[in-house]
Amino acid sequence: MGRRLLGAAVSLLVASVLIFIGTSVLPGNAASVVLGRGATPAAVQKLEQQMHLNKPLTTQYTNWLGGFVHGDLGDSSIGLAQGQKHAPVWALISDPVKNSLILALITALFMIPLSLGLGALAAVYAGRPADHAISIMSLAAIALPEFVIGSLLVGVFFVWLDVLPPVAIIPPGQSPLSDPTKLILPVATLLLASLAAGIRMVRAGMVETLQAEYVMAARLNGLSERWVLWRYAMRNALAPSVQVLAQNLQWLIGGIIITETVFAYPGLGSLLVTAVGNRDLGVVQSVAMLIAVVYVMLNLVADLIVLLLVPKLREPA
Amino acid sequence: MSDPHNPRPETGIELFDHRISRGTLLRGAAGTMLGMSPLLAAACGGGSTSSTGTSASTSAATPVKGGTLRAGFVGGGTAETLNLYQGVTPIDESRAQNLFDPLLVVNPDLTTGPGLALEFNANAAATEYEIKLRPGVEFHNGKTFGAEDVIYSMRLMAKSANFASVPFVAGINLKDLKAIDATTVKVPLLYPDADLGANFVYWNTWMVQNGEKDFTNPVGTGPFMFDTFKAGTQSTFKRNPNYWQTGKPYVDELLIQSIDDNNARLEALQSGQIDAMAQLPTADAKAHQATGDITVLVAKSPQAMMFYMDTTQAPFTDVRVRQAMKLIADRPALVASAINGFGSIGNDIVGKGLPFYDNSLPQRVQDIEQAKSLLKQAGQENLTVTLQTSPIFPGFVESATLLAQQAKDAGVTINLKQVPPSAYYNPSALYLKMAFAETQWPPPSIKFFYLQALSSKAPYNETHWKNTAWNDLLFKAIGETDQATAQQTWNQVQKIQYDQGGYINWTNADWVDGLSTKVKGLEPHPAGVLGNYLFMNAWLSG
Repeated sequence: MGRRLLGAAVSLLVASVLIFIGTSVLPGNAASVVLGRGATPAAVQKLEQQMHLNKPLTTQYTNWLGGFVHGDLGDSSIGLAQGQKHAPVWALISDPVKNSLILALITALFMIPLSLGLGALAAVYAGRPADHAISIMSLAAIALPEFVIGSLLVGVFFVWLDVLPPVAIIPPGQSPLSDPTKLILPVATLLLASLAAGIRMVRAGMVETLQAEYVMAARLNGLSERWVLWRYAMRNALAPSVQVLAQNLQWLIGGIIITETVFAYPGLGSLLVTAVGNRDLGVVQSVAMLIAVVYVMLNLVADLIVLLLVPKLREPA
Repeated sequence: MSDPHNPRPETGIELFDHRISRGTLLRGAAGTMLGMSPLLAAACGGGSTSSTGTSASTSAATPVKGGTLRAGFVGGGTAETLNLYQGVTPIDESRAQNLFDPLLVVNPDLTTGPGLALEFNANAAATEYEIKLRPGVEFHNGKTFGAEDVIYSMRLMAKSANFASVPFVAGINLKDLKAIDATTVKVPLLYPDADLGANFVYWNTWMVQNGEKDFTNPVGTGPFMFDTFKAGTQSTFKRNPNYWQTGKPYVDELLIQSIDDNNARLEALQSGQIDAMAQLPTADAKAHQATGDITVLVAKSPQAMMFYMDTTQAPFTDVRVRQAMKLIADRPALVASAINGFGSIGNDIVGKGLPFYDNSLPQRVQDIEQAKSLLKQAGQENLTVTLQTSPIFPGFVESATLLAQQAKDAGVTINLKQVPPSAYYNPSALYLKMAFAETQWPPPSIKFFYLQALSSKAPYNETHWKNTAWNDLLFKAIGETDQATAQQTWNQVQKIQYDQGGYINWTNADWVDGLSTKVKGLEPHPAGVLGNYLFMNAWLSG
């Protein structure tokens, strides 16, 4: 486990360098955004000073990373360019972070049991109509990008049936949970776009284990089919599936960016999209780094769960 | 719609550019990231002097009081600001125009009328003005509006950080501004200007209170009072019960919502989560005019959409090549295809509908034979040029593509190069360096456009026009106090641009917005989207 933690730390460090370099080479900066056509070289230079962009890249990087490690996400470049002395990134992103977390958690709450349940169902009925139906529908959903799925759902549930709101406008300071109907279509979009991979992985694992000798043995010993399925087959099929589910959760972060834009949902995705457009590097870097931290944490947790499920992995190699 | 010197792009993707455009416009547009939402809108004057075309009007009946008006705009993310001297996007403009008031208001025919100022009185040489202010106007905090506020505002506008307002006060001798009494201000100028009032209609020049510092809790004299503001999300305003235009506004509350995606904004309107949306894409506008489920608000406006040629870069150094290019453009086809007909036909000079626009120039039409002959004289048969375009405003890429097709008939090959919106209006990248490109100008006045784009010190000299005699003529037109002589001089200024300049103005694009059918009182207005943001006129029926 120690090695895994070290690996995680190194991954994050590499990510931080990549994020910093990646954002630094974006053409234009917040100064030219704020100034618009007035972005003459002299005016830009003045604002770059305000944004501390005149210091060497390495100094900018160490300042930023040092702050991040200590919980200081830095300042919004746009805020500084507009002449504010301090424009803490955290104040700008705290609400969007909460909103996105709520959306992701609710989606995960449905995604995990649905992946397991539908995957197992498909495996048990492998090659029969239920299996085909599940496979074809999940494949069809994954083949469509989120904005198409979102638009289709809006078409059906707003334009046609008029039972659900097509956008999720949430007033600042209000919890998205105060009106759950607004969350239904965004969550459904994310689910449809993400379920297939999990279902297919669980199905493949289950099909394999259901043919394994120990499962056969369990059956021959007269254990009930339900017991065999859940206690023997599922547990072993889970190990590879946990990694896929973790990947799915990581994918959610990406899917959320598009889904939030489609539904005008005030989360991290919408914020990031405008921040990139505005070249608000302070916001982009810190948000990207937070996402990297979540990614790495999800991997660690998945590894841990696999360790718990497969005792043999616990012994040192 | 937005800032005249910094247009912003319209789409979401490059929000960045939003800010870029001449100020506001661009910003507004910025929301388009992902290509979703365009900023846009446009407008231009109708045929002769008047310019307010309309499509649907929402007036009639007696206004009902109360309720909350919720308007959705392309947002600008964290770059949204309450500082009206820095704002460049429509959503910034929507807040500023309702918190603050102008010295002069723009009428629906684009003439000006009294606002916070009752009179602008010039001396004979138009080098000094006395501005008479409206007495008895109160700020939201109860303070009385007066001469010191005007002086403070003008000096604040000149600060370099307030880049959006600087050009409007560049001709004023700010040091010697003087309050003659509580409601009279003496304004000395650096050069003669017969129409100083035209500088104080645009929202980047509206009046703030003496001592206003950071705009975190803005206090104005406008129809709505500040309540809350969360950049990139939502802001709210309360009715000003002491507004000087008695009886207005009609609604109790105003809510401005950022919704970057065009589809999401339209769906929010259709589902009743907002009551008004700015910048309805023209294709959607056409569809909903047919169904009638929402009110499509269309305003003719002077928003110029143009191709431009750098007169200092070959082959455009030859005036015959520029003239040939102007004759190649089939303007009606461009308007019909690139913006679904939501615009009037352009005539290569900017400002249709505005005072001093020259309506006597013949409408330029496509003439391929004449174009070929000019190119032949210039030794440029089989000319090949590159046109740089960008999806920063709706209609840019479409019009460029169509122009390239039209040019084939004249034996001219136009190669299209699509560049990122973030670079298009960025002077550190491509802006002012491209030989052949596209632009958009929503000019608050003819004078503003010529000073910003064509005068010898113009900061946005897209065509790199340099002509000393012409520049003298321009300043003569600006300083001429006799109306008839001023019009004649302005006509000469415009005729030279029409004949020799580097702009191909193919349309003056309409502002196109959507309203819930229960919103009444908002009338199409050539000066801006959603009836020029005059939400004090709006009321909700039913």
